[in-house]
Amino acid sequence: MSIYIPQETELIKIITETQNIKTFVFKPKNGFSFKTGQFVELTYPGFGEAPFTPSSNPFNTKEFDITIMNVGRVTGLLHKAKEGIVLGLRGPFGNGYPLNEFLKKDILIVGGGVGLAPLRSLLLSLFTEIDKYNKIVLRYGARSPKDIVYKEQLKEWSKIKKVDVVVTVDVGDETWTGNVGLVTSILKDLPLDINNAVSVVCGPPIMMKFVTFKLLDLGFKPKDIYLSLEKNMSCGLGKCGHCRLGKYYICKDGPVFRFSDIKDIWDIWD
Amino acid sequence: MRLYFISEKNFVYLLKTLKKDYEVISPNRKSEYFWKVFDEEFVFNEYRAVNSIRQFFFPAKKTVGQYFNQLQKEKKPYCIVGAKACDLFSLNIQDYVFLSQPQDLDYRLNRENNLIISGDCIDFKEVCFCVLLDILPYPVKFFDLNISPIDNGYIVEVGSEKGDKIIVENEPLFKEAKENHILEINDRRKKMIERLFSHLKAQNLPKKDSLYSLIKNNYQANVWQKEALKCVECGACIMNCPTCHCFLLFDSKLEKDYLRAISWDGCQYKNFTKVAGGANPLKFRSYRLRNRYIKKFEFFYEKLNLYACTGCGRCIDSCIAKIDLREIFKELSYSEVNLK
Repeated sequence: MSIYIPQETELIKIITETQNIKTFVFKPKNGFSFKTGQFVELTYPGFGEAPFTPSSNPFNTKEFDITIMNVGRVTGLLHKAKEGIVLGLRGPFGNGYPLNEFLKKDILIVGGGVGLAPLRSLLLSLFTEIDKYNKIVLRYGARSPKDIVYKEQLKEWSKIKKVDVVVTVDVGDETWTGNVGLVTSILKDLPLDINNAVSVVCGPPIMMKFVTFKLLDLGFKPKDIYLSLEKNMSCGLGKCGHCRLGKYYICKDGPVFRFSDIKDIWDIWD
Repeated sequence: MRLYFISEKNFVYLLKTLKKDYEVISPNRKSEYFWKVFDEEFVFNEYRAVNSIRQFFFPAKKTVGQYFNQLQKEKKPYCIVGAKACDLFSLNIQDYVFLSQPQDLDYRLNRENNLIISGDCIDFKEVCFCVLLDILPYPVKFFDLNISPIDNGYIVEVGSEKGDKIIVENEPLFKEAKENHILEINDRRKKMIERLFSHLKAQNLPKKDSLYSLIKNNYQANVWQKEALKCVECGACIMNCPTCHCFLLFDSKLEKDYLRAISWDGCQYKNFTKVAGGANPLKFRSYRLRNRYIKKFEFFYEKLNLYACTGCGRCIDSCIAKIDLREIFKELSYSEVNLK
């Protein structure tokens, strides 16, 4: 079978997260499994593909979720889609989060906006085997209270033993009583041992840039900072050439990178 | 090395015979050499054709499937007659891309089934600079048979088992090569290399080994913007380049169904790296021009210890804005000297 042909996947459920973000639940026809942090190419037949990282627990192999913001052509169509339609799926592609490197460590997870979607998949896999890890610290920033995804789940997660959750918004409103400020503003006094910690960052490029600088200031070593990068991934196989960054293809060598492996690439934040 | 002689008449007969199993492609002389389907007449091309041979291994546009199935294609493989050493060198790059796991099966089948009858260069174009990159004007690898014209015929060199089989199956058409013919061809090859080197010397280009660092150390050089301002984004450099491999996967609609298709794409087009959210790392023409050189002279050099450039000069020939790779390298080398 050609590597460019997708398999059928049924859209079985749609959950509205915010005004422009929805979570779509898919059931692939021929079975599918992924490692947390890997991405897929989702096709709207006749219109094309777009890359997404599943947001569900990889231990669930029957179905998977993708949380999608309505920003482009394919995502626009998906947001108008109805449950029951059949879409195309290729993947999973790339390397996910190296969970073995996280064993017995404090894990700081920093998300921005819809960047929490891939991190939810990571969080859910960590929760599934929580005994293997020391502590999980989640710091999440959204533009406004209306833009917070997984609102109810964030509350549930904060109740889990060994899990510490803090949320902030760039701009508050009359309903908001929590933190106001960029996500970097809640990266102080972190309840973890930086010498035995790793950090995982996912969000818009500008947020990842400043969070990475902040983490370095806090004393995280470049090898202990993991970034989920995004470019115009298309084939997912390191062949079509769209997502080159330095000597890497994000689709094949990433999308998860240690900062130490990419820090010398001059256009990393472009 | 096994060498034979075939007369021009017998060679045409051989190509006609090969038409049974192959779609035979040979050069057609107009103002330049263009590829065409072989019919009755064969013209030996003294130098490379206008287009590269990439299209015969990875077509410029193809349908890969109909949702959700692969299209079954019954098509004869190509027999490409008249490919030159620069064309064949590009297979190093294309193979790396499409035969790395997971393999592009269409490409693999084309590589396995296509027959390559290459030819010596017995002349060159002003834009040719293959010898700068240690590529000789006659094929040394990747061919099944190679022809070199002599005395109303060709000396034929066998480069693969597939080529050997063609000889065996068509034995009456071939004779043993004569010693004086072999000497004459070797002499012509030597002279051709000398001619290319003296052409190169006149151009005063930086040395092969310096090309990598000339790119790596000069991301901020003025030349990128200066040259990119001339670029009209036609994409001719990409479409004619034998080592360019980038492509676009897209869908098209049939009446009741959808097709999944592929077309060549390239980094000189403005939306090449644009994402749905609007970010575009290669938003300026100067970034895109520089990207092309980074990819060819830095990325592939780090991956394969090879430049993804064959010195064929097609990008120079085809550029209506007269952006010249040789001039860019010269300018980069001057700025290096100036910096020191």
